[in-house]
Amino acid sequence: MSEAYLRFWGVRGSYAAPHDTHLGVGGNTSCVELRWDDTLLVCDGGTGIISLGEELMQDAGINEMMVVFTHYHWDHICGLPFFQPAFSPAWRIKFFGPGDTAADIEKRLSDQMKAPYFPVETETWMADIQYVAPHTGGLRHGPFEIRHFNVHHPGVTYGYRIRVRDKTVVYVSDNEVQFLKGSIAKRIHEFEEDEHELLERMVSEQRTAEVGAIENVDILIHDAQYTPHDYNKKRGWGHSCYVDTVHLAIDAGVRCLYLYHHDPTYNDDQVAAIHRDCLQIIRERKSDMECLIGREGMKVPL
Amino acid sequence: MDTAKPTIVLVDDSAAMRAFFEQVAAEADFALHVYDSAEASLDFLAERRPDLLFVNVMMPNKDGYTFLKELRSNDLHGDTPTVMISSKDYAQDRAAARELGVVEFVAKPISKKAIRTLVEKYTDKSEAGG
Repeated sequence: MSEAYLRFWGVRGSYAAPHDTHLGVGGNTSCVELRWDDTLLVCDGGTGIISLGEELMQDAGINEMMVVFTHYHWDHICGLPFFQPAFSPAWRIKFFGPGDTAADIEKRLSDQMKAPYFPVETETWMADIQYVAPHTGGLRHGPFEIRHFNVHHPGVTYGYRIRVRDKTVVYVSDNEVQFLKGSIAKRIHEFEEDEHELLERMVSEQRTAEVGAIENVDILIHDAQYTPHDYNKKRGWGHSCYVDTVHLAIDAGVRCLYLYHHDPTYNDDQVAAIHRDCLQIIRERKSDMECLIGREGMKVPL
Repeated sequence: MDTAKPTIVLVDDSAAMRAFFEQVAAEADFALHVYDSAEASLDFLAERRPDLLFVNVMMPNKDGYTFLKELRSNDLHGDTPTVMISSKDYAQDRAAARELGVVEFVAKPISKKAIRTLVEKYTDKSEAGG
């Protein structure tokens, strides 16, 4: 029987949070598995990919996968040095992410596995590894059609729009929504009165682009790292306030939003409070969007 | 004469940002060429080296870094004075722009006054104009 699902292996942003107060949500950093039968696509290689790798080594029915990286900040790649399939000659693995060439991607992933930071280098990876550079026209891995787009985060960072089995999943782990709007509000005094109309157009353009990237998708997995209070202190760190995330998802007609990239300082109760507030916003806007906490171990049928 | 004016190129997918530049150009003494993507600017830049190039970072197809890296490998644009502009006011983006030899990284929004100041600063208009 055909089976398709996505599974959260890591949901934390910034750094792992393996505290007993946090484990209801999960302590590992970014990693999401998408699976259709024996075809495996993985988004990001944070610490969550370590447990995924251990499980895959027990599964004799699969020996091929693609991993797409949003970017190369540590919380998205630091599970790779402990990712068992990469060390096994039985596996074929494709790595895709930002970079001008395949060599660029290889360098960005392998630089973390060098002395004195790690005892073995990527030369010890025995799997058949292929680095795939971005190109126009999209990417395909078995039944998964994958398109990347640029998101608002330090350096070149991708979001992924993935089409499989008549469902569209968008994965945006790191994205600071409405940043330009905030910059304009802060600096409006620098502008003449006759420039305000163009500034409003810029805000509108940004919103159109943000909405367009996720419009009408079935599942959106999106950065919702900060409370409004913390976002005020951490504006410009490249992450969203959950209030902005939930409004964006409603505006875009998303069917189901998974709050993701949880702040590592927030315990289970704090994340639950964020979720309750999101549900309140959804009710106030009279939206029928579903909204759930992305929790480690959660398996979602596709 | 038009040929005596500084030539400014803007590559930005934002129509509002292009309008800011067009309004400045209408009142100032420089020749402006605007393009909504890296790809759209290629024909012009294959033949001409502008006095100042403005490139946006986040664009739907080719991003500003990739575009400028490609331009830098072309003899004509190895040292074309370039201002990187972006809403991404992050230290990592400023560093990435610096590595590509830009003269400045300017965070959006950019006022008409700031555009005029940048053009004057990097086209040395006062000397060129005698």
